[in-house]
Order: sequence, then C-alpha cells, then structure tokens
Amino acid sequence: MKADRFEDLSGVRCPLNYAKTKMLLSNMESGQTLEIILDDGPPIRNVPGSVQQEGHVILCQEKQGDQWNVVIKKV
Amino acid sequence: MVQLTDTQLDRYSRHIILQEVGPEGQEKLMNARVLVIGAGGLGSPIALYLAAAGVGCIGIVDADVVEISNLQRQVIHFSSDMQRPKVESAAEKMRAINPDIEVNTYKIYLNASNIQEIISGYDFVLDGTDNFATKFLINDACVMAGLPFSHGGILRFDGQTMTVLPGHSSCYRCSFRQPPPPDAVPSCSQAGVLGAIAGMLGTIQAAEALKFITGAGTLLTDTLLTFDAKNMHFRRVSLKKRSDCPLCGENPTLHELEEGDRATCDLSA
Amino acid sequence: MEIRLNGESRFIDKVTNLSVAGLLEMEQVASPEMVAVQLNGEIVDRGTYQNTMIVDRNEVDFLYFMAGG
Repeated sequence: MKADRFEDLSGVRCPLNYAKTKMLLSNMESGQTLEIILDDGPPIRNVPGSVQQEGHVILCQEKQGDQWNVVIKKV
Repeated sequence: MVQLTDTQLDRYSRHIILQEVGPEGQEKLMNARVLVIGAGGLGSPIALYLAAAGVGCIGIVDADVVEISNLQRQVIHFSSDMQRPKVESAAEKMRAINPDIEVNTYKIYLNASNIQEIISGYDFVLDGTDNFATKFLINDACVMAGLPFSHGGILRFDGQTMTVLPGHSSCYRCSFRQPPPPDAVPSCSQAGVLGAIAGMLGTIQAAEALKFITGAGTLLTDTLLTFDAKNMHFRRVSLKKRSDCPLCGENPTLHELEEGDRATCDLSA
Repeated sequence: MEIRLNGESRFIDKVTNLSVAGLLEMEQVASPEMVAVQLNGEIVDRGTYQNTMIVDRNEVDFLYFMAGG
C-alpha cells in the first residue's frame, strides 16, 4: 500500500519530528494517509502516541533496521 | 494550506505540538495584529511574549523615555537604554527575539482624538497603561469599535485583569463605572509596586491575547481575575454585563469619547 | 449573620442594619472611592451605599480600582 504523502524524519529530534508530522497532516485531506520514517528510541516511543491522541489512526508501524515506518490516516 | 518554513516549524514547535494551537493556531498568530498600549511594567512582558510567540504585527504605544526607576520592573528596557524612547527600546528587543515580526511604534499619548485611528486595524488590544483616564479611554474606544481587549492593573502586591469581548461580555465600565476622583487615587508614597507583579499580570494578559487569537480555551470574560501576591492568593470574581452600563448597556449615554485627566502618580516612571 | 466577603466566610455579630457604607467602614476600607462594591453579583450604585442593606448569606465583593501598569 502506498501512502498519499511520504516524509523521511530520520535524524529529526523530538519534538520537531512531531511538529513536522502535524504540519504535514494539517495540509492533507481527511482520510488521506501519511507515511513517515522515525528513528528508534524517543521518536518511535513518542510520535505515534501523540498522533493518536489527536484522533488520527496509526495504520501500521514496522521496524526496518534501526528505523521505523509508520503509516498514519488523517482523521 | 499552512505554510511554515523549517525554521519557523522549529521556532514555534512548542506551540505546534499543542493540540489546542497546532500549525493552524500558529498561522493565526502569524497573521494576527495586536496593539500593546504602554511599554512599562505590563507592556514589557506582554510585548516580549507576543513577539516570541510570533504574533505577526505588534503595535506598541508609549510617549515616555526610559528612566532609571523603570528598570526595577520594566524588563524590556536595559540600563543602556536610559533616555531612549520606550517604544524604540521595546521594538529593538522584540525584533531581536523574533526577526520575523513587524513592530509598529507610536511615541504618543493616547487621547480621545487619536485613539480610534490607532486601534483600527488591530485584532486585539492590551491595556498596560498607568492611569485611569487612559484605561477608561481604551475601554470606551474598544467597545465602540467592537474590538476585543484585555484590561490590566497593578498596585503594590495586587493585580487585576479581565478580557472584554464588546457586545458579548461585560466591559470595564459595567463594573467600575467611572474613574475615581483624582484626590482618592493613591499618592506617590502609597503607589509602590513589587516588580515581579508586573510580570505576573502582564504574562496573564499576553496569554489571553494568544488564546483569543488561536481560539484555545476560555477567556477571562465576565470575570475579574485578581491576585494578592503578598499571600499569593488568586481569585476569580464573576462579573455581569450591566443593562444600565452607560457605554454598552441598553440605553447608553456615552456616545463620544471623554477626554479624561491623565494625571498619574508617575507609576510608569 | 454570616456573609461571604471577597470569597471568604465572615461572621458579623452585634450589628443590626448593616449597610454597604457600614461594611466598608467596618472593613476599614481607606478610600471607598477606590472600590466598586458588588452585592450578590450586582454592582451597587455608589449613591445608594447608605441605604443598601446587607443581610444574612449575602455575597459581597470589593473590586478595587487599580491604575498601575
């Protein structure tokens, strides 16, 4: 499945990675999907949860090497 | 479409990650026009926080120059600013904190004939003045123009603030009616103020402005927030919009701005 | 009687017919001109302080004028 938008946030620290994610989501239509790459550690521990708290849906979250692929559906 | 540069995203990230603000709220701040009246004890923290928050256009009004007795609480002015116009000193610090913003300076005393022109074009006004005549003038001009504003006042260890949404919530005159007689106003010897009180109240006023612009939370409308910092006691007093208010009531008797006596105990100095 | 003055409970004994003016005096408010008085949520007109009576369970707030900035 290919997401509507893709952003590589590897190397982007917390909470800027989350701010960027919010920015991208705010410019998307409801129901569209966003795929992001997050580093292991604080980014993967924090960003998906924060995204969920704002009502968006995490469609999948997969570890690939040292990084994570996260697909978000905009509420 | 919210468009923020990477630098802006980084600068404002603590706003953007707030659910109640977000990229949309930050964009509203960047498009907002706010007027700060007085670059003294209250105006200092107000102007600094609004500039830091990225409020796109900030006007600042003050006719005075910086004096040494200001520096105990007017934290936007430095010792090296002595005798400089306060608006110039303030604008320099605001631009230094945030080069993205536009600052308009007004080195004048507000009066009944110039206030309407100055406030027009702004979305929100903050009263950081040091005398009753100007506080009533700001209330009256803002209510007449339908312009939301924050009232603020400090004395000794105490502070008070309320936010007025004209037409919707009670105004300063609804409760306070008219300026007290000049001989009742505290004399200089009684009019001290603990420096940090100015910061406490000014930052509350700044927060109200940011909340108004972003739509976050609820405002201090129909509420007088007062504090007594000597005992660090905060209190909210519910206020009512009065149908017999001479300004915003059902049969207003005030149709024109009054030219009051600006005499002050030099609290700004 | 018991009233709430500035949000706090206050017992007032040995006083009958307490007016707003009397309460201001009892509370040693130095400059009544620097206070707006709210009784049960309504502002009391300054000219009626002498004959506006305070009774049991009334809520009174003194709203001080503060001009400093």
